Amino acid sequence: MRRITSPFPSRPGTGLTRARALRLAAAAAVLPLAVAACGESGGTTDADGAWEPNRPIEITAPAATGGGWDTLARTSARLLESEGLVDQSVQVVNKPGAGGAIGWAYVAGREADPHTLFVTSPPIILVPMAGDSEYDHEDFTPIARLATDYMVYLVPADSEMETFDDLVETVDAGGANIGGGSGPGSMDHVALAGAVNAAGGDAAGISYVPFDGGGEAMTALLGGHVDAAVAGASEAAGMLEAGELRALAISSPEPVAAYPDVPTLLDQDVDFTFDIWRGVMAPAGLEEAQVAYYEDLFAELMETEAWQRESASLGWTDAYQNSDDFGAFLDERRSEFTEILTEVGLQ
Amino acid sequence: MLDQLVQGFAVAVTPQNLLFVLIGVLAGTVIGILPGLGPMSAIALMIPIAYGMDPTSAIIMLAGVYYGAIFGGSTSSILLNAPGVAGTVATSFDGYPMARQGKAGKALAIAALSSFTGGTIGVVGLMMIAPSLASFAVSFGPTEYFALMVLGLTAVVSLAGRDLVKGLVSAVVGVMVALVGIDSQTAITRFTFDLPELFEGVEFLIVALGVFALAEVLVMLNRRGRGGARGGVTSLRLSGRELARITPPTLRSGVLGFFTGVLPGAGATVASFLSYSTEKRIAKDGATFGRGNPKGVAAPESANNAAAVGSFVPLMTLGVPGSGTTAILLGALLVLGVQPGPLMLTDNPDMFWGLVASMYIGSAVLLVLNLPLIPVFAKVLKTPKAVLIPLVVVFCVVGVYGLSFSVFDLGLLTAFGVVGFLMRQNDFPAAPMILGLILGGLMEKSMRQALQISGGDWSVFVTEPISAALVALAVLSMVPSLVRAVRERVAGRSAAGVAAASAGRGAEEDSDRAESLRS
Repeated sequence: MRRITSPFPSRPGTGLTRARALRLAAAAAVLPLAVAACGESGGTTDADGAWEPNRPIEITAPAATGGGWDTLARTSARLLESEGLVDQSVQVVNKPGAGGAIGWAYVAGREADPHTLFVTSPPIILVPMAGDSEYDHEDFTPIARLATDYMVYLVPADSEMETFDDLVETVDAGGANIGGGSGPGSMDHVALAGAVNAAGGDAAGISYVPFDGGGEAMTALLGGHVDAAVAGASEAAGMLEAGELRALAISSPEPVAAYPDVPTLLDQDVDFTFDIWRGVMAPAGLEEAQVAYYEDLFAELMETEAWQRESASLGWTDAYQNSDDFGAFLDERRSEFTEILTEVGLQ
Repeated sequence: MLDQLVQGFAVAVTPQNLLFVLIGVLAGTVIGILPGLGPMSAIALMIPIAYGMDPTSAIIMLAGVYYGAIFGGSTSSILLNAPGVAGTVATSFDGYPMARQGKAGKALAIAALSSFTGGTIGVVGLMMIAPSLASFAVSFGPTEYFALMVLGLTAVVSLAGRDLVKGLVSAVVGVMVALVGIDSQTAITRFTFDLPELFEGVEFLIVALGVFALAEVLVMLNRRGRGGARGGVTSLRLSGRELARITPPTLRSGVLGFFTGVLPGAGATVASFLSYSTEKRIAKDGATFGRGNPKGVAAPESANNAAAVGSFVPLMTLGVPGSGTTAILLGALLVLGVQPGPLMLTDNPDMFWGLVASMYIGSAVLLVLNLPLIPVFAKVLKTPKAVLIPLVVVFCVVGVYGLSFSVFDLGLLTAFGVVGFLMRQNDFPAAPMILGLILGGLMEKSMRQALQISGGDWSVFVTEPISAALVALAVLSMVPSLVRAVRERVAGRSAAGVAAASAGRGAEEDSDRAESLRS
């Protein structure tokens, strides 16, 4: 082991113990790095072709602590360990920056490493489309889609608008500012433009006002600064329950039990659905046995009572898809998004 | 309400919850002292611990981490010029000069007392008027936020010190730094040079640590041999007169801070700057702000703690997080199965009133814990320079790396350290740059949102009542400083006698030195 010298000149009297303590502390700090650095790919594939991880699994959240991706990564990591589904430990690594692109680049650099996973959602399609990431979903191995949430189209409780068509009419008359929680061309805007377009409205004519997050958009709506807003259903749950805001429609294929009074777009003859899906992916080049191991692992995780309880409280609906289906789903979404963004002139 | 509060204390004073208050504020203080490591990541990392707990105990503990961190953040601002959390940057403007003058003990005591006072004002506000404040919080839309930020930016005039032009240059640089990244209104990248690391903009704390702490280190190194005359640590005892002097600013800033905190778009950092510049403007001795005026420590410290408490209003009454930290608290509450929102007070009164009561207890605990520790903290200043300088550098590097785990950011930190050093050498004040950085981004965003909503009509800023009032206040607030600046310039020109100039030179250099110490 490399000798680590104390950063402080040793002084008579205090020298020995302090220098030693520092040396120990420094060594302790370096140790995990050293361990992480050795051992490349690995894992064991037994005679039947089944594979198991042989060192800690790392789940990357391509965002800072506290956001949606971080919550998913930490919830999965904690439950995988506490429910005894893995023998190895599961660690969460935050790689924030560039709307996810920094984290994706980090994972892309670990090609064929079966001990690295990352959590993902629609931005993995939308950010590369905006030209802000060198990697897109095709550069990774889909593992599984886990859960989904939907968009709700909100108006103040006392608004005259009753149906989604009313909103589209107001948009076409040029009389509606609609707030959303993310920038133009990103998730909230696409969910809005796609629905307006499907309802036969002029998606390019929407006055879309981007805010920092659904919370800010809803506050602006409550204060009457915008006329309508689009937000994730779970974000809006409290406001809907309290009757401060009213949802004209939800973007789910079927009515959602938590919001029995909110009709879907399909119910209103608007042929559009939008999933805020959440899933897990891995670097490119994983072997089939490795993919199969993780597919099963996450399917098992979702069956646990703990997952059911926690995902419900976070407003997620189970939407498991295995690797193949998830990959096909991602491709479909991309062509759909391309169409919508072309429609509004952002692609 | 009183019986509800009694009920709240009944919840908060169980041995278990008392323990969690204690753990929360202790962890918060330590996290606050370490630059970079903010309450946001601390709370996110504590969520797994909180998961198994009773939701009320969990929120009591996590809230303790939050206001504890804001409380503790002042310590490193004052002692090292390295702001521990974003909300305490303004504290270093006068706190660090005080420490250099050997009044570190006093500065820390003032910070502790005014934090406690501000926090208490906040809790009283939260208790008395939280439900009715929800409508105040939503009355601020993009138009109003823009006007508020304009008002905040006029503080540049008072923060600029002797040379208004240099102050404005510094502020403009700050605003320019705020523009780096993906534009939130058009999704176009600006000034990023195709570096993905810059897509999300420049983290505020990196700039603050660079231009304050690292630049200070460079200045110290530059003075090598001459021996930095660091004052010893005087007692932390404040005389009755000193207390009387800081009381009115503390109370005013507490109220101002609370209301700023209630606005979802503002928060503790904006509150601390607003109150600092307000106090500087209305104080008779405003000119000595930035050179170790105790009021300059009391005002931002009171405001940031009041704002931290105030930011619970939109969280608890609307379910809308008013800051990054409360966004994470919201996530924590959801995991615990509590949905904050308009129904919180009726559905979960025990939790709300328990939290309020725990904040009273937490503030008192913070004060009792911190006052005896001040002499210990202040000993930092007696550390020989050869140890202190590397320590500050390590603090900054660890703090920035802990924020993003990005080596790129360390490069940025160094770059801003050099920029800060060059600014100091050439008498450009750093405070306006920080102000421009914090407020400029918010100002631009709200301006463009407002214009999008108004269909490009600029008149909204003066026709909406709240916005018009704030803009008028902004214009008025600049008048006295501008008049003074113009008058000084005119006076300076006419009194250009050679003898007077050379005699004045010495005095000017002295005060310049004091000025550069501040920034």
